[in-house]
Amino acid sequence: MTNSYDAIVIGAGHNGLVTAAYLAKAGLQVLVLERRDVVGGAAVTEEIFSGFKFDTGAHRIGSLHPAVVRELDLARHGVDVIETDPTVFTPLLDGRHLLLWRDPQRCVESIREFSKADADQWVPFTQLVAKATSLLEAAYASTPPNVVTGGARDLWTMLRLGGRLRHLGKRDMIEVMRILPMSVKELLDDWFESDVLKGTLGATGITGMFQGPMAAGTAYTFLHHHVGVNGGILRPTMRVRGGIGSLTAALAAAATERGTIIKTNAAVERVIVESGRATGVVLECGEEIRAKWIVSNADPKRTFSRLVHPTELDPEFCRKIRNIKFKGACAKVHLALSELPDFTCLPGNGPHSNGVISISPSLIYLERAYDDAKYGGVSRKPYLEAVIPTVTDSSLAPPGKHVMSILVQYAPYHLKEGTWDDGRRQALGEAVVKTLAEYAPNIESAVLHRHVLTPLDLENTYGLTEGNIYHGELTMDQLFFMRPVPECARYRTPIENLYLCGAGTHPGGGVNCVSGYNASRQILRGAKRFGFRS
Amino acid sequence: MSKMGTAHYDAIVIGGGHNGLVNAAYLARAGKRVLVLERRHLVGGATVTEEIYPGFKYSVCSYVVSLLRPEIIRELDLPSHGLEILPLESTVTPLPNGDYLGRWADHDQTRRELYRHSARDAEAYDDYGKLMYHLAFAVKPIVGMVPPDPTSLSPKDLRGLLKLGRHFRSLGEERFHALFKLMTMSASDFLDEWFETEPLKATMSASGIIGTFLGPRSPGTAYVLLHHYMGEIDGAFRAWGFARGGTGAIAEAIAGAARRLGAEIRTESGVTRVIVKDGRATGVVLESGDEISARVVVSGLDPKRTFLKLIEANQLPADFVDSIRRFKIRGSSGKVNLSLSELPNFTCLPGEGPHLRGAISISPSVDYLERAYDDAKYGDFSRRPYMDIIIPSMIDPGMAPPGKHVMSIFVQYAPSDLKGGWNETRREAFGDAVIDTLAQYAPNLPGAILHRQVLTPWDMERDFGLTQGNIFHGELSLHQLFFLRPAPSWADYRTPLENFYQCGSGTHPGGGISGASGRLAALNVLQDWKR
Repeated sequence: MTNSYDAIVIGAGHNGLVTAAYLAKAGLQVLVLERRDVVGGAAVTEEIFSGFKFDTGAHRIGSLHPAVVRELDLARHGVDVIETDPTVFTPLLDGRHLLLWRDPQRCVESIREFSKADADQWVPFTQLVAKATSLLEAAYASTPPNVVTGGARDLWTMLRLGGRLRHLGKRDMIEVMRILPMSVKELLDDWFESDVLKGTLGATGITGMFQGPMAAGTAYTFLHHHVGVNGGILRPTMRVRGGIGSLTAALAAAATERGTIIKTNAAVERVIVESGRATGVVLECGEEIRAKWIVSNADPKRTFSRLVHPTELDPEFCRKIRNIKFKGACAKVHLALSELPDFTCLPGNGPHSNGVISISPSLIYLERAYDDAKYGGVSRKPYLEAVIPTVTDSSLAPPGKHVMSILVQYAPYHLKEGTWDDGRRQALGEAVVKTLAEYAPNIESAVLHRHVLTPLDLENTYGLTEGNIYHGELTMDQLFFMRPVPECARYRTPIENLYLCGAGTHPGGGVNCVSGYNASRQILRGAKRFGFRS
Repeated sequence: MSKMGTAHYDAIVIGGGHNGLVNAAYLARAGKRVLVLERRHLVGGATVTEEIYPGFKYSVCSYVVSLLRPEIIRELDLPSHGLEILPLESTVTPLPNGDYLGRWADHDQTRRELYRHSARDAEAYDDYGKLMYHLAFAVKPIVGMVPPDPTSLSPKDLRGLLKLGRHFRSLGEERFHALFKLMTMSASDFLDEWFETEPLKATMSASGIIGTFLGPRSPGTAYVLLHHYMGEIDGAFRAWGFARGGTGAIAEAIAGAARRLGAEIRTESGVTRVIVKDGRATGVVLESGDEISARVVVSGLDPKRTFLKLIEANQLPADFVDSIRRFKIRGSSGKVNLSLSELPNFTCLPGEGPHLRGAISISPSVDYLERAYDDAKYGDFSRRPYMDIIIPSMIDPGMAPPGKHVMSIFVQYAPSDLKGGWNETRREAFGDAVIDTLAQYAPNLPGAILHRQVLTPWDMERDFGLTQGNIFHGELSLHQLFFLRPAPSWADYRTPLENFYQCGSGTHPGGGISGASGRLAALNVLQDWKR
């Protein structure tokens, strides 16, 4: 095996694999280096308990970049996306429940149980969301412009996006601009009155955020999770048959098919920088590998505070990297179940377990959960996003058994008192099961095994700084041309030939492969400039 | 406009608040015959000094000034009408452990004091100041411009957008990005990048929450940190100041200037309705039933009162009425004014000292402010509120009888939509919470109180016509600023009705005693006049 490549991708997360596949597709000799023994990063399926397979990181996918699906021929590589129906089920303690479906009319009927006015508002609201997300989709597909000192290409991007905005028409254009910086609570209060509906939609605005639904900017996060989704569907639930790991396995296959070499158990210790230019990497085992381009799928903080020696960087740049907000807010709990949870408000088995089970009775419930975290504690009444993929995919557990994956919020990385030791880890697991048991009492006895990942575990296992699932908070000051810091917003970095391709770059967060796709386009542009011809 | 040649006045300004008065003065200065109509018995709106108890003068609502536009002071020659600003140069934050954090007029003294708490913060303080100083320069032209309408293709709006774009590019990358962060971050996150001392971060971030229904950790609170520095760069009176005679003296000075320029000001003349004919404002109806006609009507009231009370809904486009209805105007603050038999004796700085001539801020930590906000979020007033306190009689002895004092306490949070609603009992309970909290830092205070005036948002709405008691005529959140304030496409002081304008704090740039809205509105009225 040669010890020199055209490009090295550090980290085999979904974005890293996408970048690798596209670089290889353009004819580059690519090497992917993964620290763990499996590819996938935080998009992996792991058999934690014998026979029970869990999506231990992300347990849903976002709307995959259509070009990636098509051009890398993911279907041929075995990707089968399940779009669940209903999309979300919110049980309540008063015996009622809310179900949202893919069919808007069924949503309207379901909502009517709570409020007639809200039922009437549903379709117009989904139309507003569709308009706003169509604009974001255009922005997501673009490399963020340099708005201050940019050249013709940057100006063109700005004009194009400005044109898209104007294209919405005066009324909608204003409305979209108005709602972007709002809190998701303000947005929903403008439209709806029912607590459970607002809680269920608002939860999307806080997922992965160290913010409550009253925080400005959470309306944007809400929209972020709907970009690329068919108009009319809110809180969509999409997952991959066989677990999310089969998506990253397919991406890996697409990359290797084009000549990419993927090495697991190959942790990178540092990037070699010579005269301000990245020229290779050193592995933890001491091996040196050279390449013309180095692409980091690690988050920006890991990339610049661990992989690059600080003397290679401007102190002001280091300060900005240090100031990127991560503030991990989530934990994961995985349960192996002997039977399905039996919800008091909707007994028996039914389609309600297909999608996300959301413990989000109201926005106030979510805000109170955040209050605890704000002062450095774990939410006493947490927001839970649970999925039981075995309902639609029996391959993930032994016959008759089930797996349940739960995203728990808020579990702050920085605790006011103590650290995330095993005692706290187990206490969190118990608290989550207890919370679920309030809605589905049989769950306590149905638990065969329990596995908990605290924010610290997420950091240690997946290399997510502070356990932040988005590689940096998706707050307004860290978006678009500010993500992760202005110097790296166009996937290039101050180190020549070192690029970023992870979720820490625009548009960030959620398994959608857009960052990896955009980064590869940018790298290939640079490659051409340096005389590379595919 | 020849049709209206019979009009008695060229312009009627509804409301004698500071913006209404500034507006009237500028219109009069251009030779227009102007009438200001004020509902109360005195001018000033929320910029008033009132002798509620004999000998004790309270700046009842707003109590300090930092943003009053220097061009207004100059062009209206306010000093000749009695405006004198006395500096308020220190801010002291007493701490529960008996210590304090002080920032003083003397830069070296502040530095030494910060060193006492954290060497790192003392070092960062100057760099931070420099950045904010530059950013204040960066925002100044934006604050001073009429917001362009981004949906419009008119040459004027395109020119405005182009000007804005050029301005941003002229800032250079570093400042532009710093400004972007400042506009979008929470005060607490922004300050975390610079400082580690809790009371320093808390006291600074407190300026970001004043008048908003947000906590210091809510995104969108950072940019108000600039206000402090904006006062400074304009060089009018550096940082915060107190008007001799109380804030009412500012309104009096502007009213004096307006009168000298020929404006007529009538008090006890509440307007009940604007007369609209064929989509055009032609005059007003007073509470007395009298009608007065004018070629132009300008409202200094907040957007809700202006468009939902003075105008009949069917006279306005439904879209516009919707936007005004959605305009957020929750009140979040209260005011307690005290007459004192003696000065408060702070445990952390016993006796009389220079700290009593500056601001005293009850903001020991960011968590403290957040907890105060949490109470309000769920519909209660803060049991342990944030307070910004000054003792006007220490700066201007004329504010109280000899040997006695007045104390002005700005309190947050007091939500307008208090659970169960405000009433006399709740108001006094709120006042008690304030005194109780303060007594922890100055134990002699409760015994020194001769009189107490408590204002909740409920009182501010009733007495001063501030809808929901919001001191800024509408929340200063990102989606209610610039071209969205108060409603999209109508941020240039014009309204859907011809000859009807708005000039209050509910328009850009809004908030604080700056007069900018009043002045920019007048310039727009005059521009239309020429056409």
